[in-house]
Amino acid sequence: MPSASFKDELLAEIRNLRAFAISLSGSVSLADDLVQESLLRAWSNSEKFQPGTSLRAWLFTILRNIYYSNYRKRSREVQDSGGLYARRLIVPGDQESHLDLEDFRQAMTKLPAEQREVLTLIGASGLSYEEAAVVCQVGIGTIKSRLSRARAKLVELLELDDASQPPVERKVRRAG
Amino acid sequence: MNATRTNKVEALDIAAPDPKAVEAIGRALEAHYASLVQAPLPDKFVELLARLERDRASQTRGRRDALG
Repeated sequence: MPSASFKDELLAEIRNLRAFAISLSGSVSLADDLVQESLLRAWSNSEKFQPGTSLRAWLFTILRNIYYSNYRKRSREVQDSGGLYARRLIVPGDQESHLDLEDFRQAMTKLPAEQREVLTLIGASGLSYEEAAVVCQVGIGTIKSRLSRARAKLVELLELDDASQPPVERKVRRAG
Repeated sequence: MNATRTNKVEALDIAAPDPKAVEAIGRALEAHYASLVQAPLPDKFVELLARLERDRASQTRGRRDALG
């Protein structure tokens, strides 16, 4: 039976769970359905969660399973995340080199789903390689390989590779 | 990176990208994800958990009552 603190711990993870769901499905409305179902399933299976392990990774595993079992087909038909990706949401003010976020988002949608999810889990959600391997139900070697491929593909799509001229500065703007 | 090196990297399938490029991608990814995490959250998730907790509380009371 879930404890009161379990509810609070779930509450604290909702935003990350939803961010992962949007990354995975490319759709805010699908993501919201996924989060809803995941929370219900997590609540009714709370005794299966092992205290001391990552609740985030456990929730991501649940959500990912639901997505690949029931929703993946739908998500190809519905891409409605455009509103969330409005430029006003871009975090401004970074004086170091940075990419145009809209270019980056476009490039992300072109990655195979298995690469996009690994990149998101490791690079943004703060999961370890081990946790990402559990979430994706593959070995750590596969996680590392998908991560490398994802990065290499983004470098290619965003034309960040040195081999082409002009070099990085074309897309990566530097202040000053 | 000279031409020979480039060919070798391509042959390996997984290229080893420029560290600056990897860093730029890492930052863009974090900014992208942060915008998703910070996006307005519908009330329904908080309401769902509150309802689940209420249901559990009333079930527990019900069981206690049944046991006398």
